Amino acid sequence: MLDQAFEALKTYDWGAERSPLEPINEAIISSRNDAVARKDLEARLISALKTPISRDAKDYVCRKLMQIGTAASVSTVAELLADKDLSHMARFALERNPAPEAAQALRDALPRVAAPLKVGIISSLGQRRDVASVASLAIMLNDTDGTIARSAALALGAIRTSEAAKALGNAKATAPETQIAITDASLSCAESLLAVGNKSEALVIYKSLLGEGQSKHVRLAATRGMLACSGK
Amino acid sequence: MGRSSRREFIKAASATLAAPYVITSAALGNESRSPASDRIVMAGIGLGNMGKGDQGAFLGRKDVQYVAVCDVRNSVRESAKGKVNERYENTDCKAYNDFRDLLGRSDIDAVHVATPDHWHAIMVIEACRHGKDVYCQKPETLTLREGPLMIEAARRYGRVVSGGSQRVLEDYKGIVNQCWGGELGKIKSINVNVGPLSQICNLPVEDTSSDIDWDLWLGPAAWAPYNAARCSGSFSTAGNSWRSYVDYSGGGMTDWGAHHFGGATFAVDVRELQPEEVTYIDEKEGKHLSLRYPNGLTITHNRPKTGNLAIEGTPGETREPKPVPTYKGEGGIYGDFIECVKTREKPFRDIELGVNTTAISHLCTIAYQLQRSLKWDAAKQEFLGDVEANRLLDRARREPWQL
Repeated sequence: MLDQAFEALKTYDWGAERSPLEPINEAIISSRNDAVARKDLEARLISALKTPISRDAKDYVCRKLMQIGTAASVSTVAELLADKDLSHMARFALERNPAPEAAQALRDALPRVAAPLKVGIISSLGQRRDVASVASLAIMLNDTDGTIARSAALALGAIRTSEAAKALGNAKATAPETQIAITDASLSCAESLLAVGNKSEALVIYKSLLGEGQSKHVRLAATRGMLACSGK
Repeated sequence: MGRSSRREFIKAASATLAAPYVITSAALGNESRSPASDRIVMAGIGLGNMGKGDQGAFLGRKDVQYVAVCDVRNSVRESAKGKVNERYENTDCKAYNDFRDLLGRSDIDAVHVATPDHWHAIMVIEACRHGKDVYCQKPETLTLREGPLMIEAARRYGRVVSGGSQRVLEDYKGIVNQCWGGELGKIKSINVNVGPLSQICNLPVEDTSSDIDWDLWLGPAAWAPYNAARCSGSFSTAGNSWRSYVDYSGGGMTDWGAHHFGGATFAVDVRELQPEEVTYIDEKEGKHLSLRYPNGLTITHNRPKTGNLAIEGTPGETREPKPVPTYKGEGGIYGDFIECVKTREKPFRDIELGVNTTAISHLCTIAYQLQRSLKWDAAKQEFLGDVEANRLLDRARREPWQL
């Protein structure tokens, strides 16, 4: 049945019956405690991805690699990161793949792609809370493309380390939407720093957001943060 | 100009203007409307089936000034705009295709969101970042990861964020009163039956309708060709609506789960908790689930031969009655939201309670998908020692969309 499913994948496209692919799904379930079968399944998915199957079929393969992909599939999937049609589905597979190689592949792709694909890769690194990408993201905070700067800010706000907070503190946004993202990300970092007892760094962030130039809801957030720092 | 600053402006202007000045009856308020300074300035995003109803409810309120609409379908947008202009007998309502343009307006206090589910988290969080209060249709989330981020955004900025299931309080009064009234004794379990899981969408390619901004409709979801059934707002989950498909909805499991699990958790008073264990049971009578809460209570899903919201209490035992929580203000769940916008209290379906409810549906979905039992750490928001299940907490969003 699994052979037939992979055969069906060759002609799978929008509008085709989806049920012939079901054995692939069943194989994912049945191979949970069978490392050999799981490895073989991943290898077959990788092979399929290398063939000229339809965009819809590659979409399907990436969804399955999201569930079972390991370091073994990273390089094949990563080749799709620069493909405007397939970059998102490549991230579908890589963002949720816990192998360190998946994060490295996303980091390696950053200098190779431009917006909007770059925004997607930044987003995935943020969702992975990839501490190793903080330095690169810090530089992108000052990118002339506002979508990249904003995305880098939100990713740093997802990573939430002291280093991410410092990078955000040094950012000089010009576009209002980038500034909103930097502010939000800074507050995220402050909350995380406070949660681990680093009150002094959290306080610096909250104080920086109390100025008259800030929106009312931001000043409210900063005031509440300062009260939390003082244990109130 | 925000609501309070507008109030301050009006107050200052009233104090300093000595020259004759004409203030319209609408601005001062009259029998049918509150003074402008007391009205909540609102806008709607996603004005199709549910959004249309939400718009009507908010638009009909004296204490709301409805100023803008947003929808990626031109016909829906124009129709929604027309309703506002008809209501106020003017042409002031602004219409937007892109919600970001609407959220950028500083004069809007609150928005209601009734887009397909794949947009909820992004729009709620972005609205909070812009200082807006939000009424968001259920199911509030599409993935488990989204919920805590929505709660965090609401709390961070002190926003009032309400989920949108009117059925929780209005449809299950009988069972709620029995449970809270203590007449069933200690509650041991409650069963919930809801619809099917959503599926991967593989509908054929159709010519894209000129009425819709297709790329913006898809938003953070995987790119796919247009098909009218893919984006239909029909309430069916049988393949002819976005509610049927995994990229936009959790199917009947979340769509009805938001109501039924909401009613069940309200009845047995565990709305503030999340389950800690999901047991997958594959029996001759059918596959079903049992979800155990930290306080020992059990919610079952699709337990064979058991009705929806069937409760197992303790026969012969009664308990001290407790007052049943209800809406604030007047006008059902909409009035509850508006009242809380004014008082800054938490609404009946505060976002945290909506997230907890929808989390049950997501836990059920993952257990059925993996066909096995799961242990859930609600504090960490992850499955205990379960890498495979943790992969399903979230999914990558299509660029440029990001939480």
